[in-house]
Amino acid sequence: MRKMVAALLVSVMFLSACGSNAGNGNNAGEGKEAKEISVWAWDPNFNIKALELAKETYAKENADLKVNVIENAQADIIQKLNTGLSSGTTKGLPNIVLIEDYRAQSFLQAYPDSFYEMTGKYKTEDFAEYKIAPTSLDGKNYGLPFDTGVSGMYVRTDYLKDAGYTTEDLQDIDWNQYIEIGKKVKEKTGKKMITLDPNDLGFIRMMIQSSGAWYTKDDGVTPDVAENEALKVAFESYKAMIDADIVAPNSDWSQFLAAFNSGEVATVPTGNWITPSVKAEASQSGKWAVVPQPTLPGVANSVHASNLGGSSWYVLNVPGKEQAADFLAKTFGSNKELYQKFITEIGAMGTYKPAAGGEAYQVKDEFFGGQNIIGDFAKWSEQIPQINYGLHTYAIEDVIIVAMQDFLNGKEITKVLQDAQKQAEAQLK
Amino acid sequence: MIFAFYFYPMLQALLMSFQSGAGTNLTFVGLDNYKRLFTDPTFIATVTNTFIYLIVQVPVMIILALFISVLLNDPKLKFKGFFRTAIFLPCVTSLVAYSVIFKYLFSNNGLINTMLMKVALIGEPIQWLTDPFWAKMTIIIAITWRWTGYNMIFYLSALQNIDNSIYEAAKIDGASAFQQFFRITVPMLRPIILFTSITSTIGTLQLFDEVVNITKGGPGNATMSLSQYIYNLSFKYTPDFGYAATVSYAIVILIVIFSIIQFKVAGDRNG
Repeated sequence: MRKMVAALLVSVMFLSACGSNAGNGNNAGEGKEAKEISVWAWDPNFNIKALELAKETYAKENADLKVNVIENAQADIIQKLNTGLSSGTTKGLPNIVLIEDYRAQSFLQAYPDSFYEMTGKYKTEDFAEYKIAPTSLDGKNYGLPFDTGVSGMYVRTDYLKDAGYTTEDLQDIDWNQYIEIGKKVKEKTGKKMITLDPNDLGFIRMMIQSSGAWYTKDDGVTPDVAENEALKVAFESYKAMIDADIVAPNSDWSQFLAAFNSGEVATVPTGNWITPSVKAEASQSGKWAVVPQPTLPGVANSVHASNLGGSSWYVLNVPGKEQAADFLAKTFGSNKELYQKFITEIGAMGTYKPAAGGEAYQVKDEFFGGQNIIGDFAKWSEQIPQINYGLHTYAIEDVIIVAMQDFLNGKEITKVLQDAQKQAEAQLK
Repeated sequence: MIFAFYFYPMLQALLMSFQSGAGTNLTFVGLDNYKRLFTDPTFIATVTNTFIYLIVQVPVMIILALFISVLLNDPKLKFKGFFRTAIFLPCVTSLVAYSVIFKYLFSNNGLINTMLMKVALIGEPIQWLTDPFWAKMTIIIAITWRWTGYNMIFYLSALQNIDNSIYEAAKIDGASAFQQFFRITVPMLRPIILFTSITSTIGTLQLFDEVVNITKGGPGNATMSLSQYIYNLSFKYTPDFGYAATVSYAIVILIVIFSIIQFKVAGDRNG
């Protein structure tokens, strides 16, 4: 028995050794002119479809290059990239990868020289300004900005009407006024105003970015929690919502979707990428509208525009990088018609400014009572304050989530934020 | 070969636990990572959570498994095969699949809340997943469901090795069922109880799938396990593989300590 196991192990080792040799041979043969590149992205209804469209467009003029689009969950991509890049072997990694803006800096800085510089491959002034900081490092561009996470507030006009409001009343409000409206809606319709997941503070991120603040200072490294006025007000608004009993808690994505598809909540303040999910419930057609995001009460530079999520394309510094960069530059980097297709065929909005003049951006949407929501989102995305998300968004956010629980349980706000600041500083050595 | 596949990675991880930095920019920091452990509130929270799971769940599960196995070992019991299969079935289900099902059962408008409300035990839905106390309870219920049958099998097989004549002799001496259980069954099963409590302890210290899939470690860090913290340090945050390795070694040390304690408590009299 033991001999058999040994024999088996030896043969497995031998076979895998052969396998990796063969792999090396292939790589060496590729040289400069790669015939094939691969792309990793997540979300089949959004990013993958956009890639397929880009691939078709590119193939019309560059038939030689084969583009393999591979779908992975976002968490898997992060895990594979981290393991691949940290082990120092780039074999098995793709040529192009989609990375969320919040995480981009941590990859760019943790793995220097692993990404291919894109400076000059596209015009940065063509893209929304707030996308440039997360995709650059030391003044060089590494990523090609893609989807916008421009946020807005999706509202049920029928519930609002029952409570005596129109969308006009929601145009220029802050979160305090929002809570007052929420109480009225609850009183008249019995519906909650909003659904929140205590484990996901995306909502807080969205609130603070509207005033140009983040969890870290401008350098992207120093935690900025204790003295952060916007964060303090966001915390207070969040608690006020819970105290006013206008929040339906959810604990994951599907419950989040169910909360508004089932008609349980009256508003959904979030990124524009939620549009397909809102429209998925066809029976609610005509009952929705989109209004600008409320501002943080009393915070001077808070605007009615913010961002939640959003991601960009990156080229890895592996053989085939020139072709990969060329593919991106000719499609996502400069093709106006392609962006019209994204809107009409997928409902996906890029951050490529020249595209906004196109026809697809003028279309009125019957689901939203004839509102031109794409046009509105495009308008708001120009007002989003530019932010350096820095290296540690998710690490600090886990500290903030605990701080929020303490705050909701009655701990004093200044103390909560001071403790969180200390912990964040200790965490980020 | 043992060196290449077992000791080399272990040594590498140990070396790594003395380094810190983002991604590949690792620098040697000596014992800093180990000092950081004791001041890291997240690490302390995860250790506390793990201890709560251990203290509540392992004894409950061991006693439950022991109890069920004695019932199922009763020669007069009918449909024995059916009951044994039913109780063993949970531990052949996939960790992820059952976690996802538990998440839905225990969600706000899930089956458990609906049932409890139907029989008027509770007036408002229990926040099984979004309240720190109930979230821990959910995890404990989930792992108990998954692993009780597994431990039961060990007890069943051990029970079948106990000669029935011992029980017959006890009965003639006038021992009650209660006395038989505590004076004969439990002492005879002592080595198996030791084995199952050590494996369950190790299992709890390595808890990952359930927590990640049911509560994602939340709310706050209320249910986060040590393994999930390692995952977060390596893949969710800016990767710090050095510190993650340190936390892994902390688990190793904890497992060694617990195993020694359990050997001392349960094993000595036997040996």
